[in-house]
Amino acid sequence: MTVATDVREAAPPATPAAAARGPVVCHCRDLTVELGSSEGPRRVLEGITADLREGELVSILGRSGTGKTTLLRVLGGLVDPAPGSQVGFRGQPLDGPPEEAAFVFQDYTASLLPWRTVEKNVALGLEGKASKGEIRRRVADALETVGLAERARDYPWRLSGGMQQRVQLARGLAMDARVLLMDEPFGALDAMTKASLQDELQRVHQQRKPTIAFVTHDVDEAVYLSDRILVLGGSPATIVRDIPVELPRPRDQLATKELPQFHRLRRIVFDEIRAHHG
Amino acid sequence: MAREHGAKRRPGGTGRVNIPGLSTMAALVGLWELAVRSATVELEFLPAPSGIAGAVATLVATGELFPPLLHTLRAALVGWVAAGALGIGLGVVLGLSRPAWRYSMASIEVVRAIPPVSLVPVALLLFGFSLRMELLVIVYAGAWTVLVSTVEGVRNLRPELADVGRMLRMSKATAVRKLVLPSAMPSIVVGLRLALSLSLVLAVVAEMVGNPRGLGNALIRAQQALQPEQTFAYVVTIGLLGVVLNAGLRRMSARALPALAAGRGELA
Repeated sequence: MTVATDVREAAPPATPAAAARGPVVCHCRDLTVELGSSEGPRRVLEGITADLREGELVSILGRSGTGKTTLLRVLGGLVDPAPGSQVGFRGQPLDGPPEEAAFVFQDYTASLLPWRTVEKNVALGLEGKASKGEIRRRVADALETVGLAERARDYPWRLSGGMQQRVQLARGLAMDARVLLMDEPFGALDAMTKASLQDELQRVHQQRKPTIAFVTHDVDEAVYLSDRILVLGGSPATIVRDIPVELPRPRDQLATKELPQFHRLRRIVFDEIRAHHG
Repeated sequence: MAREHGAKRRPGGTGRVNIPGLSTMAALVGLWELAVRSATVELEFLPAPSGIAGAVATLVATGELFPPLLHTLRAALVGWVAAGALGIGLGVVLGLSRPAWRYSMASIEVVRAIPPVSLVPVALLLFGFSLRMELLVIVYAGAWTVLVSTVEGVRNLRPELADVGRMLRMSKATAVRKLVLPSAMPSIVVGLRLALSLSLVLAVVAEMVGNPRGLGNALIRAQQALQPEQTFAYVVTIGLLGVVLNAGLRRMSARALPALAAGRGELA
């Protein structure tokens, strides 16, 4: 347990109750982010303090333009925070994208390599890091998990949007990423595909227990998938509420969404978003 | 899936014979033949297509055609390969490095504006009547074209792909090999194709002016010997060489980039 103690020393828990759960994977303290714009630097996020714990599925929710994506990119080491902010991964200060983390970007078409087949795309993160046989095994395994084993040799642009997004997910799984950073991954998909991918993600989460940060602006999606919802609001944005979602798992598109608890949570989240919009 | 069908077409479109296109060509040649025979066009040294065909046949039969043809082909190809290597190499550096671009942009803009043909006398002055002089002009002309299209292709790397590279902690070299070059490839291929046409043009010009070998030189000699059929025969040969080179490159690029050719339609 010494490791957990160390982690806690480096990053005191954001809320006392949270300490009861798994070790902290990602943390930020007093996070401020400024992005360059045509009128000089613009403050996007301010005073954000949050923890992501091992195996948790946390949604980052807010209206579009609030800085959800920026927060995710900071956690993944793609954007540098302003001086004075603390961002860390497993207790260590963050220095570039951490080894264990994989992004699933919103624009699946632009994020896959069109000149590579599906299996070669999934293998991308493993090349040079594992033997040929090991890569083949892990790629096949990841494609099996997302139900694309039969399309391994196709080019991504031959697949539907939902399938392309599965390829991106498989790329992260093949790397054996313990942390998935997902940026509105299902935002561009139709309702049916979205629902089936939500269930797919839920299954992957149950099976492999990765820590997932999931950016979305869809309230129902956030409540349905998450263990916890961080609601972003204001400008510059901050976390206006941290809502635990204690719905039973596995969740079901119909049964879960009919639970009174689901409706109550949905209500709370909606009110929160509305309250912080001028 | 509509694309399934498109992808099955032969890449490059060289598989089918274009009957209407060929018949237009045949009609034009027939008209020319008729004009010369009926003496509607009165130019002393304008041969009929049948005469040109005869001259080509003779040049082939005597073997006289092949040494200049091979020389020009070799010069154009060697120059093109060198121009490609130079252009891609420098293009990647200038495309990736802002400072390198800022320092060299002004010089590039000025030097690039010089028509390569005007360099023929300069090269002649420097290297005399030689293959080196010919190659210099070809490489010079082609390298700019490839360089500019490479810089453009490298610059247009989608930010999403750059993010993928960063998330996977790729080294600069790996990112260039796995992301930058493949995604710049369609643009580079366009530059390479332009450079190939240019290299043939400049090979012929250089041979006309400064290298006593090759098709350009044979063409000038036939003209000075007042042999219109032969002169035209060399022109036709140069034209055919251009067509063959271009078709060859189309084939090659379609084979090398099957995904892109099928995914984005025709390559340029």
